[in-house]
Amino acid sequence: MASAPRPERAPRLLAPCLTRYPPPPSPTTVGFLSMEEEETYLELYLNQCAAQDGLAPPRSPLFSPVVPYDMYMLNASNPETAFNLNPEVKETSGGFSPVDLSFLPDELTQEDKDQPVIGSKHETKENSESQSQQSRLPSSSEQDIGLGLNSPSLSNPHSQRHPSDTDLVQASPEKPDSNSLPLASITPMSPVTSVSECCGIVPQLQNIVSTVNLACKLDLKKIALHAKNAEYNPKVRFLISLLLTKLECNGAISQSRLAARKYARVVQKLGFPARFLDFKIQNMVGSCDVKFPIRLEGLVLTHQQFSSYEPELFPGLIYRMVKPRIVLLIFVSGKVVLTGAKERSEICEAFENIYPILKSFKKA
Amino acid sequence: MNNTAASPMASATSSGGRSTGKSVSFAAELQSMMYSLGDARRPLHETAVLVEDVVHTQLINLLQQAAEVSQLRGARVITPEDLLFLMRKDKKKLRRLLKYMFIRDYKSKIVKGIDEDDLLEDKLSGSNNANKRQKIAQDFLNSIDQTGELLAMFEDDEIDEVKQERMERAERQTRIMDSAQYAEFCESRQLSFSKKASKFRDWLDCSSMEIKPNVVAMEILAYLAYETVAQLVDLALLVRQDMVTKAGDPFSHAISATFIQYHNSAESTAACGVEAHSNAIQPCHIREAIRRYSHKIGPLSPFTNAYRRNGMAFLAC
Repeated sequence: MASAPRPERAPRLLAPCLTRYPPPPSPTTVGFLSMEEEETYLELYLNQCAAQDGLAPPRSPLFSPVVPYDMYMLNASNPETAFNLNPEVKETSGGFSPVDLSFLPDELTQEDKDQPVIGSKHETKENSESQSQQSRLPSSSEQDIGLGLNSPSLSNPHSQRHPSDTDLVQASPEKPDSNSLPLASITPMSPVTSVSECCGIVPQLQNIVSTVNLACKLDLKKIALHAKNAEYNPKVRFLISLLLTKLECNGAISQSRLAARKYARVVQKLGFPARFLDFKIQNMVGSCDVKFPIRLEGLVLTHQQFSSYEPELFPGLIYRMVKPRIVLLIFVSGKVVLTGAKERSEICEAFENIYPILKSFKKA
Repeated sequence: MNNTAASPMASATSSGGRSTGKSVSFAAELQSMMYSLGDARRPLHETAVLVEDVVHTQLINLLQQAAEVSQLRGARVITPEDLLFLMRKDKKKLRRLLKYMFIRDYKSKIVKGIDEDDLLEDKLSGSNNANKRQKIAQDFLNSIDQTGELLAMFEDDEIDEVKQERMERAERQTRIMDSAQYAEFCESRQLSFSKKASKFRDWLDCSSMEIKPNVVAMEILAYLAYETVAQLVDLALLVRQDMVTKAGDPFSHAISATFIQYHNSAESTAACGVEAHSNAIQPCHIREAIRRYSHKIGPLSPFTNAYRRNGMAFLAC
């Protein structure tokens, strides 16, 4: 498996592409921009593109990676000339050699998605993720434009420079479920609103389980007697006191960490030399409602290798998504529970992946 | 629920004089179950009673044999190992049972992960409850496996044709339903014998037995009961479809059963109108199905299947 640095995986969309080739001001910050910085870049860029009509904003950066905004505008409006512009782009962008593949993110492994989606040659993991994050909105139009562009790009000697583009473009026809989406126009997306753009639904986090190592011996009885919200169960060696709160989207992880810190402080106040090591999130559970009934019999038949549905055992269908590795419980009513995530983004991504499938099995 | 009649006392109607005064009856639940397995919208009460009788007989026999097996090894309760031992001959059914046990383990693991209260405690106590059934099955089959074919079943990834057919039938059935009917169908599908554990125990009259089954063994028995009903419905549907003579079609005997069933159901929905009684499974279908199932062709047929005590072959194993 490829190992992406964790902070980079969080804002999924175009951010991976953009972080690699931000506009001239800060090329050195490639790859490790904080959330806020990436958002700003994206907002700026996408606002520019939104002024144009036609082409998919996500696609153009791949054609001409390191390009100032005005060049993007030209590309956006004129797909046919996109490749003609590239030689100029090459000059202006400076240090960009013809076959420079350094802009590709580190992980070049291409992983099978559970849908018949991207199966192209050296499609990068991040590209495929960004595609899925856009929930195939642009891809439906990409398909029209992309197929047309395939022939010129293949014959064009400059096509070598952007192997990921042709791959990306070729990838679009392989996404059958994208066609089911009725959207034809591209709407600009920013990381925060992207999830809601596709279906207006954002999974709510129900629970986060995390562990932390206090690195000191504890007298459990003393803590149980003195601290609030603590129970002492002699059968179990550790203190069980989980703080359960209904958590809102973005604050979830920090709140969990905060809660853990609070407990460490309580223990400290009781006189133990508690430290705060290895805070790790073990599991995150999210849930949402797609608001339409789902025909589970159809789903289990077509996705046999991922789903198991035994209604006499459990009323929901258990769907084991491979990438990201999340388990979804899908109910007839339309409620979906996602579990097994280590990061918020995995829950969002999993829901993005499953939503078109659920729509295709909507019970009218 | 959908059933019309079926008070708990109405058990003594058909099926020739068995079960006198049986106070516990699953006829109502069976009607729902049969609907969810592919029968008509309102299965016949007589059919349900007959099915109940058949399942009851088979389970009692199975329990008796399991009791003998566990007595042989000097145990005081009937354990899942005894039931696995009885099923060792039929690979496909055993595999289905194993899959069911694994799914049950997996489901409890997931649900536990969502239900926070137990999670930490479980983690710290070494999670010895996870995969309990899988361990039981694996250890046992390990111990009795001489040729390695039983253990090979754990890695076996073949498609279970019977289950596949059932899934396809359910999918076909649900495709044409509207959402209200579908909600009802789903509720019917969720019925099982394990949901009514205490009634199930009384039905099998476990309290009067010397050696009683333990909890996991009861789960397996509930599963086997459901499997029996499912098998009966599968076979009865085949029989019913065989009985329909299509005039003028010389190759009707050669076309696969599912194909014909599919086209039949498509036609019948188009014609609509009279549904329930013309489509429901009749008791004669069930009887014919059992007769055909018990009838083994071949030179060694009297000597195979050691469990045909009272002339009726076990459907679930």
